[in-house]
Amino acid sequence: MPMYQNGEVDPAVKALEARQDEILRKLYELKAAVEGLAKTVTTPDADLDLTVSSSLSSQSSTAVFTGTTDLDALLGKDLGALRDIVINANPAQPPLTLLVLHRLLCQRYRVLSTVHVHSSVSSVPPQLLSCLGPRHPDSHSRHMFQLGFTLIWKDVPKLQMKFSVRNMCPIDGEANVARFLFKLLAPYPSDPALATLVDSWVDAAFFQLAQGSSEERAAALRDLGSALGRSAWLSGPDLSLADVACYCCVLQSGSAPSAPASVRRWIKSCENLGCFSHAKTLLL
Amino acid sequence: MTKESAQGAAEEEQQAQSKKGLKKQQKEAEKAAKKAEKQAKVAAEQQSAEEDDFAKDRYGVSALVQSQQKLDRTLVRVQDLTPEKADQLIWLRARVHTSRAKGKQCFLVLRQQQFNVQALVAVGDRASKQMVKFAANITKESIVDVEAMVRKVEQKIESCTQQDVELHVEKIFVISQAEARLPLQLEDAVRPDGEGEEEGRATVNQDTRLDNRVIDLRTTTSQAVFRLQSGVCQLFRDTLTKKGFVEIQTPKIISAASEGGANVFTVSYFKTSAYLAQSPQLYKQMCICADFDKVFCVGPVFRAEDSNTHRHLTEFVGLDIEMAFNYHYHEVIESITDTMVQIFKGLRDNFQTEIQTVNKQFPSEPFKFLEPTLRLEYTEGVAMLREAGVEMGDEDDLSTPNEKLLGRLVKEKYDTDFYVLDKYPLAVRPFYTMPDPHNPKYSNSYDMFMRGEEILSGAQRVHDAQLLTERAQHHQIDLEKIKSYIDSFRYGAPPHAGGGIGLERVCMLYLGLHNVRQTSMFPRDPKRLTP
Repeated sequence: MPMYQNGEVDPAVKALEARQDEILRKLYELKAAVEGLAKTVTTPDADLDLTVSSSLSSQSSTAVFTGTTDLDALLGKDLGALRDIVINANPAQPPLTLLVLHRLLCQRYRVLSTVHVHSSVSSVPPQLLSCLGPRHPDSHSRHMFQLGFTLIWKDVPKLQMKFSVRNMCPIDGEANVARFLFKLLAPYPSDPALATLVDSWVDAAFFQLAQGSSEERAAALRDLGSALGRSAWLSGPDLSLADVACYCCVLQSGSAPSAPASVRRWIKSCENLGCFSHAKTLLL
Repeated sequence: MTKESAQGAAEEEQQAQSKKGLKKQQKEAEKAAKKAEKQAKVAAEQQSAEEDDFAKDRYGVSALVQSQQKLDRTLVRVQDLTPEKADQLIWLRARVHTSRAKGKQCFLVLRQQQFNVQALVAVGDRASKQMVKFAANITKESIVDVEAMVRKVEQKIESCTQQDVELHVEKIFVISQAEARLPLQLEDAVRPDGEGEEEGRATVNQDTRLDNRVIDLRTTTSQAVFRLQSGVCQLFRDTLTKKGFVEIQTPKIISAASEGGANVFTVSYFKTSAYLAQSPQLYKQMCICADFDKVFCVGPVFRAEDSNTHRHLTEFVGLDIEMAFNYHYHEVIESITDTMVQIFKGLRDNFQTEIQTVNKQFPSEPFKFLEPTLRLEYTEGVAMLREAGVEMGDEDDLSTPNEKLLGRLVKEKYDTDFYVLDKYPLAVRPFYTMPDPHNPKYSNSYDMFMRGEEILSGAQRVHDAQLLTERAQHHQIDLEKIKSYIDSFRYGAPPHAGGGIGLERVCMLYLGLHNVRQTSMFPRDPKRLTP
């Protein structure tokens, strides 16, 4: 609350006061966020009160991903056109991970999301056509967006991403595309051990949890259980790509009910974040 | 030399000569005898043949069909000759595609449009030697009526479309005889480009084809192309009619050029002169002002451009659309692109045989598209080109090579052969194009591309008489000449947009052909006015 309302006050004092107010506000928000986080992690069954969860989900991008927002630095020089990420996915295997990451990207950037059906595919279920959410009201002017996310349902054996066709070869595999997208949200941990850990979880998610035999899947679930017994998220205190990938693959393989308690608690924590809950509705 | 000796020598000579002459005479006599014998034999044979030809009534040249009688005879179509028809006696009218005689048998390939079947005339209790001979001598491309038994074959006949059956001919009559010499051979005309060179066989060049268009149109490839073209037209009509469009007919003889006077044909019109319409632009827009809301028009359009390229014709069929919209011209883009997608889908689903037939001669990748159609903005296109090393200004128009390059870049990234490029620079568009409200350098106009070539150019039109006048003045157009055009917008005109497509270009690019003359039945270009 400003105490002096006449215009006589020294502007420097006013600025100082404004700064103080801002810091206090941020502190309160942070406190609320931390409390909310603690609640989700420790008591996943507890119903979060709406204010906390909404502040949490809106904060999640700033609280969790404190990386650079400078797309120029990440993706190279701006040529005055939309940077469009094209993803070719087979409608028989919807890439849940990428849909979660898409949500996170939308919280961070102005993303123009479009879904197309390629002529190699004859029909696509309606929930896949609307999987990137409703159309942005400004979608008629493409230049107003920072990032394009173009999902094409196509008859491809393996998910594929095309970005800068002149400088990059197409990226194959959902896991690799997920790594690319996540780096737009937050840099990988600077600790090489931790970064490798994230990578190995992503591999475990796709090769064991999603595509593995029943024994491999069970083993991966056990690993997941013991890791989640030690910390709230898979690679330490922060949400990382490891969590996104493993969550989606567990969901897709349908092995959630038979998972250890720590895994089920973690699943609940994930689902308490807005961006995850959406993926579940797309499972056929 | 003495006289005697000379005489003797002469005598000897005479003797020798007479000896030679005798021999000669003898030989000649023998020859004559043989000849006579032969002739007699042949005559006898002929006589006996004529007498013996039990199949006399089963073949021959029919009298001119002058509608003397109305036969109650069902003619089966070649494409319906399937194993289900086996062991049935049927009648058929077809062309003789090829014939090959071999002793007591004669193989014919009978063709009907793009389908053909093998037929066999063999000496037996149904056909005589003479009948086989007659069948073998029927000239190519003659039209025949055939009565035959359908028989299943053990080995598939690879050279025919009806591979599982052949016809055992019992009667054959020529309905129309073709001249023995054809200006071009159908087999040569359907041979894929590369193949002829390898085998040293002939291929037919474009001009020969076009000079003898009637025969060239009989080839399986041409049959397929124009059947598909008819499909494009029908799908265009059906889709738009379903969307609530009204088909209109507009005059082609007009009093003033609609888009600049440079490339119009002038025709003498009684005591004055008139022009042939370059596009129904004006009339489409007048229909919108007259509350028709959504209109389309299929008809000829004329361009007097003296350009001899693979994609220009002086007369072509224009498929034109004009539509009033509510708030944003993208409503119109979506309507047009959806129509195109419906056409592509219809062709993909219903014209697979035709597409494959054309592909046999002109191989190309299947046409790929996205639904909804990909829309890029002009600035994005320019950025993609610059990234690929093309130097061009922000407001430069796309050159044809750049258009093609952009098409390749878009295909590489999005894997689509059809896309829309939106928001062209205002400077490169006609005066009636609506400027972009956010950036006056750009406009609410768009082009559509198939396989990197432009097929449609369209825009939101200026529907405000005031602004239209300003834009016309800016383009230094004589206001007097377009007075009636501007006046149509004075009495309340809804916002509208539209575009026009060339039917021949759409077919050419859909099939991946290289010359628009291949998809024009009787092409007109600066150098061709016949047939």
